[in-house]
Amino acid sequence: MVKNISAPLARTARLLDLVPFLNTHQGIALKDLAQQFDVSTAQMSSDLTTLWMCGLPGYTPLELMDLEFESGFVTIRNAPTLAKPRSISFDEGVALILGLDLLSSSISDDRQDLIASIDRLKAKLSEKIGLPISLKAQPKSSPAISSVISEALSKNIYLHIKYHALYRDEITTRTIQPIELVENQEDQYLRAFCFTAGAMRDFRVDRIIEAEKVIDRPETKNSSTNSAPIEFTISFKAPSRDVIERFGIDYANVAKSLQLTSYSQQWVERSVMASGGGVELTKPLNIRSELASKAQLILDRYKAL
Amino acid sequence: MPTVSRKIERLINLTIALLATKRYLTKSEIFRTVEGYEGSAETKERMFERDKDDLRTLGIKIEVGSFDPLFADEAGYRIHSDAYQLNLGDISSTEVSLLSLAAQAWEGAALADVAQSAILKLNSIGIPADSFDLPAISPKLSNSSEELKIVTAAIAESDYLHFSYLSADLVVQPRTVIPFSLSTKSGFWYIGAVDQDVQEMRTFRVDRIHGKIEVKENKEAFELPVEQLKSVIENEAPEGYATIDIRKGKGHSLRLNAISVEDLGEWDQVKVPIFGLEALASQVLWHGDDAFVQAPEQLRGLIIHQLEMLVTTHG
Repeated sequence: MVKNISAPLARTARLLDLVPFLNTHQGIALKDLAQQFDVSTAQMSSDLTTLWMCGLPGYTPLELMDLEFESGFVTIRNAPTLAKPRSISFDEGVALILGLDLLSSSISDDRQDLIASIDRLKAKLSEKIGLPISLKAQPKSSPAISSVISEALSKNIYLHIKYHALYRDEITTRTIQPIELVENQEDQYLRAFCFTAGAMRDFRVDRIIEAEKVIDRPETKNSSTNSAPIEFTISFKAPSRDVIERFGIDYANVAKSLQLTSYSQQWVERSVMASGGGVELTKPLNIRSELASKAQLILDRYKAL
Repeated sequence: MPTVSRKIERLINLTIALLATKRYLTKSEIFRTVEGYEGSAETKERMFERDKDDLRTLGIKIEVGSFDPLFADEAGYRIHSDAYQLNLGDISSTEVSLLSLAAQAWEGAALADVAQSAILKLNSIGIPADSFDLPAISPKLSNSSEELKIVTAAIAESDYLHFSYLSADLVVQPRTVIPFSLSTKSGFWYIGAVDQDVQEMRTFRVDRIHGKIEVKENKEAFELPVEQLKSVIENEAPEGYATIDIRKGKGHSLRLNAISVEDLGEWDQVKVPIFGLEALASQVLWHGDDAFVQAPEQLRGLIIHQLEMLVTTHG
């Protein structure tokens, strides 16, 4: 449960969790201990001093916990009652189950052993926190990188990637704007504008090691002829939620004619096409007329059949 | 502040005493033996009531019972160690590593602090993590608003959530729901809930919620509509199938869903399931002259209509 826990209560929880942690990490450095619990060393010293005074009724040295600081290292003895960690809270359980779910879909199919372990852990945790079994039927998340790429494609946002260039055998970091996924024989490529190279590049998806979203528009390091952003203006004919999500527009702006930018003419064309009659591209005129003739061409083919 | 420290000491001593006891401890026994209960009877009473509430807030379950069932005398208290302690049964080093990776997936996202506290508990079991055998992956959950915390708390309590939601036809509508699940797909978060207006299950995408989510306590018992849930899962069958010609090496997102592919030379003919005609028409149009629908007629008609509108508006 997420309630706003007061500072003394948060500290109580920390002290309760400290005992089992020390029990399995005897002789840990005070500095490391503080880091594990995300507090200052001064706070940790004070926590340990408080803990020193706790124990079983009677509170003679026999019943109190034995804590030992020896030149900055901490050990604990005589704390059997609190020796085991506290059970997982509902929130913690939900966080772990969702994390496991993501993990499961990121692991390749040849590791069925791990996928089975994950399923077992998920079942155990669901039972612990009393989540209904039926929850497991919820859609699974797609592999992390693919999901970031598809989000970037659909929302027209930039990515920061680590890419393994196989032939040169080196890993490069680049900032890109994904444009489309293309397939070539066996492999899947991400066609993107690369700000690092200042030009269009194709990246093999399975060689993208990391991908994260970038909020601000990156600067192009190398200048190149086709690196200028395209400014375009659209107006809504029959706005729908799909359309505003495709162009990443806030609901409040729907009524207006909007000026947007993109590094890819293809993305602009495709997005307008996919919106059918929902959107009118008013500028630039060249893309507008190209679009009209393209639509006419496809239409002719449909009608010829 | 010494008084604050004393309160913390008292809470911990109370926890230890209630955990260590085999039988229920009465209030008077607690006041007599647990350090920190001082002052008048009334003061002690008040202290104890607050301490019980505080421990419950920390998720510690205190059992109340009578240690002599024949006499309905003074109530007793204890903490059952099975409820207090983490017990995941047999758990291997690899499994501990998997749980760590699962928690790390939250780095920088909504439940990061919660995941971190779970990790501390797991690390305290005393089984070292062994990630040697794991693939070198560290998937991350897409960053999400703080709202997820509100939602998980409401799931735990079966509380009502009240919010404004953007519908498919672009109308913002007020909704009141009881949430029961949270999931993520392609970078978006989804809440599974029972819509209170229609008493049916609905799925809500979190980023389509406008403004704040309000929580209202639900005092009645909530039963998950298991039967409905089952039928929804079973009804995930497609409306039908479309036959689409796709240029070789193109139309990847369409190919992903294909159930069959036939080689036509320069083109491939694929069969894809239809989950909503509008969505599929839009997807085909996105691919421009790389994708061309052969069947069904209804989908062709829709695409032709869209193309005509495109030509009219832009011609």
